[in-house]
Amino acid sequence: MAEKFDNLEEHLEKFIENIRQMGIIVSDFQPSSQTGLNQKLNFMISGLQDIEKCRQQLHEINVPLEVFEYIDQGRNPQLYTKECLERALARNEQVKGKIDTMTKFKSLLISELSKVFPEEMSKYKAIHGEDAPS
Amino acid sequence: MTEMFSTLFGQNDAQGPPGSSSLGFGPGKPAPPMPQNQVSMTGQMPPQLGDEGPALRKPGAMNEPFYLLRELPVGNELTGNTNLITHYNLEHAYNKFCGKKVKEKLSNFLPELPGMIDCPGTQDGSSLRSLIDKPPVCGNSFSPLTGALLTGFRLHTGPLPEQYRLMHIQPPKKKSKHKHKHHRPQDPLPQETPSDSDPKKKKKKRDDDPDRKKKKKDKKKKKNRHSPDHPGLAGSQPNSNSLR
Repeated sequence: MAEKFDNLEEHLEKFIENIRQMGIIVSDFQPSSQTGLNQKLNFMISGLQDIEKCRQQLHEINVPLEVFEYIDQGRNPQLYTKECLERALARNEQVKGKIDTMTKFKSLLISELSKVFPEEMSKYKAIHGEDAPS
Repeated sequence: MTEMFSTLFGQNDAQGPPGSSSLGFGPGKPAPPMPQNQVSMTGQMPPQLGDEGPALRKPGAMNEPFYLLRELPVGNELTGNTNLITHYNLEHAYNKFCGKKVKEKLSNFLPELPGMIDCPGTQDGSSLRSLIDKPPVCGNSFSPLTGALLTGFRLHTGPLPEQYRLMHIQPPKKKSKHKHKHHRPQDPLPQETPSDSDPKKKKKKRDDDPDRKKKKKDKKKKKNRHSPDHPGLAGSQPNSNSLR
């Protein structure tokens, strides 16, 4: 799995470096640079072919659209991962708090009901058992 | 409210006593005339209420001593009660992203990528969102350029006009706090390549000298302002290249 990403990353880095060098050649062009430019152009096309081949290995990969928004804003996409983890943990804690509160309420309610309606509560416990699944 | 309730039950009992008395709400009173809205409501009342109830109760509640007592749902093993981060072995990831400070800019994530990548993509039309909204044409094969096609890439000699010079602009790096060095963050710095090493080093040296010369000239001009002999600021001395 990681090899596919490494392969794509390597091809992309080479492609970007090639484009950057083409930009340098073009920014101050000399007649002797023509052959080099032609070579870079064909290298660019072969780079696109290599990237196209990598695409087939990664067609099952899904990327959340929110990450695209981070990148478009010039922000680090790792912040998205960080915020996801923080939100998950906060939500986990919130739900755990609700479960704990409801468990305490259940035990308190059963104890109080047992004081007021002992016979009914004994029937209830006989149906659902002493330790009802929470 | 109780009168409406009683009249609803009273009408369900066929020719019986008023429903209020059978339910124990009080002595039998003649049902008050109901407005038309409530008449339609009674017509729509489901027949479950009243003595026809037991046959229509849910099977789970039929044999229970408590009305509508259902079986408790099967508990899931995985609930919010467990720490999901440890359950899915994400502790390392959590410590990596949330334990340390993650830098804000995209250039910190991709330090080797050239150009100004911290700017929003909408400014120069390089946003990923535009790729989703207008996907490019795919499916065509890439074929290398032949000699005839390469003739279209014959360029004129000389530097590019300034408006098209984007490749050499680098984002501002660490701000130096030294007072002696006067770095301009907006100045485009040339990239380090083997083809561009020597002439640009010479340009850097030339840039240092005209800065010093300018300072000296400014001092001289300030002195000359006070003297009555010199006409004023001419400012016609040739400057160095605009690229710094």
